[in-house]
Amino acid sequence: MTSQSTESDGSKASGSDRDPRPVTFRIARFTPRPQSERPARTNPFSKSNPFATTGSRRARGRRWTQEYTIRIAPQRTVLDALLQIKREVDPTLNFRYSCGHGMCGSDAVLINGRPDLLCTATIADCLSASKTMPNAYASPGVVNGTPQVQQSPAFRRTGTATPKTAIPPSASHPDSVSDSTASDFSATDPVGTAGPAELSEATGLIDATHLTKTSNIAESSAVEIRPLPGFTPLRDLIVDTDAMFEQIRRFKPYLLHNDSSADGNQSAQAKAVDTKPSSEYRQTPEELARYELLSTCIACGLCQGACPIYAGGEAFAGPAAMIAAARFINDSRDSHRQERLEAIDQVDGIQACQSIRACTRPCPRGIDVGEEMWKLVEAVKE
Amino acid sequence: MNALILQQLTLTFRTAKGESRRQRTIAEDHAMTGNHPGFGVVMKRITYEPGVARMTSQGGDLTVGGYLAARDPPDDLIHLLGEGKFGHKTHSARVSRHGPEGPPLSTGCDSINGMNPQKVRNRYDAVIVGAGAAGLSTALGLYRALESNRSESSLSPKVLVVSKLQPLRSHTGSAEGGIAASLGNQEKDDWHWHYYDTIKGSDWLADQDAVRILAEQAPGIVIELEHDGVAFSRTEDGHIAQRKFGGHTADYGGHPVRRAAYAADRIGHQILHALWQQCLHLGVEFAEEWYVTDLVVDPPADEESGGQARGLIVLDTHAGKLQAIQADNIVLCTGGAGRLFHTTSNSWDLTGDGMALALQAGLQLEDVEFIQFHPTGLGHTGILLSEASRAEGGVLRNSQGRAFMQDYAPGHGDLAARDVVSRSIMAEIDAGRGVADPSDPDGPHDCVWLDMTGIDGQRMTALLPQVTETIHRYAQLDPTVDMVPVKPTAHYTMGGIPITDRGRVYRWQDGRRRVVDGLFAAGECSCVSVHGANRLGGNSLLDACLFGTRTGQTIAAAMPKADEPNDMTDTSPLAPALQRRQAFMDVLLAGASKAEPTEPALADNQGEEPDTGDDASLNNPYALMGRLGRLMEEAVAVRCDQSSIERGLRGLDHLDADARQLHAHSDTAVLNQEVTAIMEVDNLLTLARAVLNASLRRQESRGALYRSDYPQRDDEHYLAHTMIDANENVSWQPVHIVDMPPKGRNY
Repeated sequence: MTSQSTESDGSKASGSDRDPRPVTFRIARFTPRPQSERPARTNPFSKSNPFATTGSRRARGRRWTQEYTIRIAPQRTVLDALLQIKREVDPTLNFRYSCGHGMCGSDAVLINGRPDLLCTATIADCLSASKTMPNAYASPGVVNGTPQVQQSPAFRRTGTATPKTAIPPSASHPDSVSDSTASDFSATDPVGTAGPAELSEATGLIDATHLTKTSNIAESSAVEIRPLPGFTPLRDLIVDTDAMFEQIRRFKPYLLHNDSSADGNQSAQAKAVDTKPSSEYRQTPEELARYELLSTCIACGLCQGACPIYAGGEAFAGPAAMIAAARFINDSRDSHRQERLEAIDQVDGIQACQSIRACTRPCPRGIDVGEEMWKLVEAVKE
Repeated sequence: MNALILQQLTLTFRTAKGESRRQRTIAEDHAMTGNHPGFGVVMKRITYEPGVARMTSQGGDLTVGGYLAARDPPDDLIHLLGEGKFGHKTHSARVSRHGPEGPPLSTGCDSINGMNPQKVRNRYDAVIVGAGAAGLSTALGLYRALESNRSESSLSPKVLVVSKLQPLRSHTGSAEGGIAASLGNQEKDDWHWHYYDTIKGSDWLADQDAVRILAEQAPGIVIELEHDGVAFSRTEDGHIAQRKFGGHTADYGGHPVRRAAYAADRIGHQILHALWQQCLHLGVEFAEEWYVTDLVVDPPADEESGGQARGLIVLDTHAGKLQAIQADNIVLCTGGAGRLFHTTSNSWDLTGDGMALALQAGLQLEDVEFIQFHPTGLGHTGILLSEASRAEGGVLRNSQGRAFMQDYAPGHGDLAARDVVSRSIMAEIDAGRGVADPSDPDGPHDCVWLDMTGIDGQRMTALLPQVTETIHRYAQLDPTVDMVPVKPTAHYTMGGIPITDRGRVYRWQDGRRRVVDGLFAAGECSCVSVHGANRLGGNSLLDACLFGTRTGQTIAAAMPKADEPNDMTDTSPLAPALQRRQAFMDVLLAGASKAEPTEPALADNQGEEPDTGDDASLNNPYALMGRLGRLMEEAVAVRCDQSSIERGLRGLDHLDADARQLHAHSDTAVLNQEVTAIMEVDNLLTLARAVLNASLRRQESRGALYRSDYPQRDDEHYLAHTMIDANENVSWQPVHIVDMPPKGRNY
């Protein structure tokens, strides 16, 4: 009895989303070229000329967009779908994933133009979002139907409020075929990445039907997935997160309590030898509340991917690094508040934030990143 | 401020004792910038003033001496030099100029080491495999112990943490409830009570000397974690808050006691991040997204020893290259093996790698037949719905709507011990009173309902935020009105690599423990046997942090006494293993070029039904992992008997044969997840066989193991640890009974 009533309740709510149906996933793929010429990651020209540029540091390789159509219930997550593709269609598709329920922060990507976690985005959400997605968020290559001409980049390169429609220097860059959001990277490249041969290779790989189909993305039930912007793609949807972690690390994201930092030797010795504990640092619930939410950051990088200024961290260490710093600035146990505020008060620190607040929306932990950044701006001023 | 030309800046790396390890002029040694570590582009100008070195670049990284010094420096500013008080304590680096003399400056090593070593050496004093709570605790224990003895030692040990995930992705981060310690912050508690509860929870299979250490040292570990930065929830007067947990009692089985120190419902996240942060502070070197493929252990040389660990073969997944690493000390901290089962609360990465490595190296595993199933995994996902959902009033119901737990555990009902509830659910399902997951209405009726509709909506949001959110997000149900499908989900492997209470791996041979020199383990992949046949809530994080720390200290204590470290790299013992693994990889990748579908060709699939035919799934490690999960579930999940286990073993033979046919479908080795998955499947299959055989040999029911053909505990024959090796040889190691003779386990 109970089960029947429950099932009918459930089907009222989202019954249609329970039925598997064909859904198309359009995924930006990238296979790096084997790197035989890159031993030990050193610069072969450095001995003779320290200023030598060895050309692009963007990995070379093959880029293309691949479509998969599988039967899946829209209520499932995008991660479920990609795993199904791995299992049933194409085991060569590479993407990071681990816990599968939004705690590990591995699987940040761009889904239909929005930074999101694979394991928390449901297919139903993506399909409905794609209908209302403003053009600015959609991938330029797809909107135009032509891979080589970009309209506006997914995110503005500067923090000014004026929409920037100018084509970035690399707009005609062949790599932007399926990697438009990384164009900010290539803008810094003094030398172009790929030759014309690669261009034809890349475009040749794009299915002709794809180009015609994509113009009516809203109607087709397609989910488009790309690597997270602001990060260098390494293979398929896997990006290089080292930059983000370096930026987080730069602001000393660890508790520095006077006792422990002043006399590390003694406390370490005490820890090693002493089985009788001293006591915890006291902290009231109110003091905890000042940083507790900040401490739930999982360093997934979605805020960095959404930040128009971040773009790889050249001009700005990024919201994730600022949140990590703020977590300790607001922790009553930490005795280096002043030094921390000084450390973030840099041109590429909190000064670079333009309060655009694009970072707030995608946060899977519900941190109002934009507001926290604003608080940092104010704290630094004091 | 002087403007300096690049060539004039020299960086000298020094060890703590001032010995110059490396001295390089930047211009000679390719100061490089670029968008990627180690990518060289242009370094325009470096200026210099006391305290700060500034350099102009076109954006990108500065690397020095093969190490990343700063990443993506902003237009004209790099804090190459940290203030001394933030400085790293083991190493320091100095900057001097070749031009006009300026004061030398010291820098924190923090900014010198990259997240990934640019070039991993071939030899380390210690290599820690895995970067969850156990691995990071080991690293911290090791570094801190070394620091405290620094005056006695002139060594600057080389330590590397190798992990297949970036450390913050480790599954430790998913632990929700708490970490057990008799702090007594909110009511009187005593470590002796914790000791007793853990023994009782283990169904008297835990080694009591180890549990004693666990309970007695727990408060110290929790306070250390707090000092490391864990944002524990607090009492009004500022102490660490504690909550009640199943099986935590006062007065040896009396009333429930608040023993689990918690941080809302994310203690694991807090601990993982705090440990990682402290590792950054100490400058621990990480090799992230490296996968260990082989462990090389020399067989015992004589009657006394247990052998000698030589090193590891590792796959740098970013480069797609194998490398041999010789290490004096190896610590396995690879976590559990929930992926043996289809429905599991574990992450996709918990494939029992460390345990399989030990088996393949000729070592034994202890008590692997004991796998804890959490009763309330959310339907098909296996995602955990915390025990708190029942503590707050959730009721389990079968297809007829009956609250069946009262039939199985009168008086305890839905809050009986985890293994009892899991077994009761399975009994209902086996009796045909299960329900289908609404997300797959035509699927098997292998769930029961969790009825939370009796809980007030506001109360639910306040007390069960994570549970409510999980149900909304992953089942699209509203627990205030909808019944929620749940089924037992594989949660924790009590058994693992046998270790002493100092973390040393041993062989059980001739009735005694023969220690394997240079090999250690900690955390869920190990078995010091504090959990016995069933783990108590809050003890897993404690086990990982406590025995991880002790392992690190053990290694540190042995280091200064060791002979002069042999800097001559001798990887000869590793060469055969490296060659074997290289040949294996070559075959896997060669399969791709021969094989049919090149990547774009696969796109032809579009619009068609996915091909689930034999060919596709036979040659797909992910599909094979799914088949293994279902096989194991039918064979031993929650309950088993001789015939189910033997069926499982026969099925395993088929899977083994199919696994040998696996090859990659892309011949690019770089970040080729399929290659790693094939090796993970091998590990899972190796481990699955050990689990099945150990279950077969233990002809009793104890804790998490329920043999329906032997439903009683049998202390006469099986008050002993199962020691099983890859050849299915089983021997029995008596349980260490110190203070508490076995008695019944009733909740």
